[in-house]
Amino acid sequence: MPMTDALLGSVEQLFSLATLVSMMIGVMAGVIAAAIPGFTITMAIVLALPVTFTMSPLQGVATMLAVYVGGGSGGLISAALLGIPGTPSAVATTFDAYPMARKGEPGRALALGIWASFFGALISAVVLIIAAPPLALIAVKLGPWEYFSLILFAVTVVASLVGKSVLKGLMMSLLGLFIATVGPDPMMGVPRFTLDVDVLAAGIPFLVMLIGIFAVSQLASEVENPTELKQGQALVRGKMHFRPFGVMREVLSRPGNLLRSSMVGVVIGAVPGAGGSIANLIAYDQAKRASKTPEQFGTGIADGVVASESGNSATAGGGLIPMIALGIPGSAVDAVLMAALMVQGVSVGPRLIMNNADLVYGMFLAMFLAAGMVLVFCLISMRWFVRITEIPKSIIVPVVLVCCAIGALALNNRVTDLYLLVGVGLVGYLLAKLDYPLAPLVLGVILGPIAETNLRRALMADENWTLFFTRPISAMLLLLAVLSVALTVRRLLKKRRTASP
Amino acid sequence: MSTVADRASRATREASSERGKAIANILFNAGLAALFIGLFVQAGDLPSSMWEPLGAGSFPRLILGALVLFNLAIMCQSMMALRHADPTASVGAGRWFMQRRLAFATLAAFCAYALLMPWLGFALSSLLFLLVVQIILGARSGRRLLVACVIAVVFGPGLDALFGHVFMIPLPSGRLW
Repeated sequence: MPMTDALLGSVEQLFSLATLVSMMIGVMAGVIAAAIPGFTITMAIVLALPVTFTMSPLQGVATMLAVYVGGGSGGLISAALLGIPGTPSAVATTFDAYPMARKGEPGRALALGIWASFFGALISAVVLIIAAPPLALIAVKLGPWEYFSLILFAVTVVASLVGKSVLKGLMMSLLGLFIATVGPDPMMGVPRFTLDVDVLAAGIPFLVMLIGIFAVSQLASEVENPTELKQGQALVRGKMHFRPFGVMREVLSRPGNLLRSSMVGVVIGAVPGAGGSIANLIAYDQAKRASKTPEQFGTGIADGVVASESGNSATAGGGLIPMIALGIPGSAVDAVLMAALMVQGVSVGPRLIMNNADLVYGMFLAMFLAAGMVLVFCLISMRWFVRITEIPKSIIVPVVLVCCAIGALALNNRVTDLYLLVGVGLVGYLLAKLDYPLAPLVLGVILGPIAETNLRRALMADENWTLFFTRPISAMLLLLAVLSVALTVRRLLKKRRTASP
Repeated sequence: MSTVADRASRATREASSERGKAIANILFNAGLAALFIGLFVQAGDLPSSMWEPLGAGSFPRLILGALVLFNLAIMCQSMMALRHADPTASVGAGRWFMQRRLAFATLAAFCAYALLMPWLGFALSSLLFLLVVQIILGARSGRRLLVACVIAVVFGPGLDALFGHVFMIPLPSGRLW
């Protein structure tokens, strides 16, 4: 399909009333969910997934992108007003936005964050449009050897970056790869490890796993401490003054910081496993290093807020680059987006952009549209943001658990899926308590069938397994996989040595 | 200030459970290793193909073999951690559960909710679940209890109606009626 036809086709779908309304609701849901401390963007997007089943693929994915981009901005609200990051991707925002709010400028802190998020998301969308199509053209030329090595690299990077222990991270990735083998074999269709149970005949339902792992177990962790249940006493009170356009000029007067932080976000977002939670800290650190007045960072300066918020919002576009170009999700959120497309019958991989050009261009446009919607919504409703942070967890937790149940039921309307959800949630909670990272597990599950199919295809084409090490790109990816683990082990050992006298 | 105190109490709780975590890790990985060895053997019975060198069982066996190695490595790591952990600073399993009683009570309520749903239907079981969990989490006084009731009605029967009539996604109606 020619590019202009694809673009026009996607514009028509995207600017339909139904899509615009569902995207606006998605933006609101994302901002509100991320504003509540303890509720992550991943959780919001996982819960949005079942609602998109009745939509067309583009409307569904655009709605989920709206939740994603909205969530990127929502975390700043509790970071600025409570000093508690609403999501892990807003940790660095608390360093300057909160002191700024405490000094009597909460409106400026919020507006700075909103504009920085907007420009960060915009820059990342531009990079996505420029980078994804050529990368996909390269990716279709990769053979099964390179693809298998690429997945191995992605799995090791995720395992190395997430959690406190590389061993546990790698084990969870492998566990994910194993869980993906339950159900029919991808090449021969032979049932494997199904224990003759109906619910496992088609494999472990991925959506149920996602909700159990990312929502139920996380919600259980949120109600552990009775004193935290009455959350919501805003520490910043009084009238807020807004000068949205004055603040926009303030953000744009820092083009170096804005561009650098956004590019940090894009690059980190594109690395599997490293999302906004890392990007905001690195962007903040880079801005501090580049600043002529680094000592002022942490006292409530605009540069700190701009760096963190543009950095974390730019990961949205960055994470979509490997997903669209290679079929490999950059983060857990991208894994959910990929699952949403798979549920709609869209095959995600390097051919996505060729076979579904209108969908991909629609996703590009949806990124811009969502960034604009978030900006408008946040600027209009900023005055009431403080109220969101005052909702106690004793209300939020049971309500979201009911939404989890709906999510599990929506796909097949099977009560057995609900039992599985309870089991996965409990196991996920216990795994998290034992410091096992859960993101590698989910990425392992989604990458498992791709890894197995490519390994088997490679050996079908040529039984010589040394080709994995002799084909240059495959060898380079395997070397990178080993390096990613080795460097993390070295870093952890160094950290341990400095910690123990 | 209270936030700082809460975070500190959470940190203390995590630190005091290091020994328990090490023991749990050893037991958990030993159990998993035994399970994976059993599955490894079972995967050997899966059919092979005449068209490809790897059969249906090869990839799972590769993964299961690697998993067992990782289980053993984590067990070794946990044994070393156990040797270095201070036994006087650790909390018992009973206290560990007590410290997280609200989380386990919420999960238990969620389990009961799932078991009741086929009988009571989504609307009624959700209403009861929402009410019970809010009470468990502290909504016991007059005004908070009233809010809990309103929340239970809106997000129980309310969501049932929304999904059934607007999104056209039917939720379980219950076998009892």
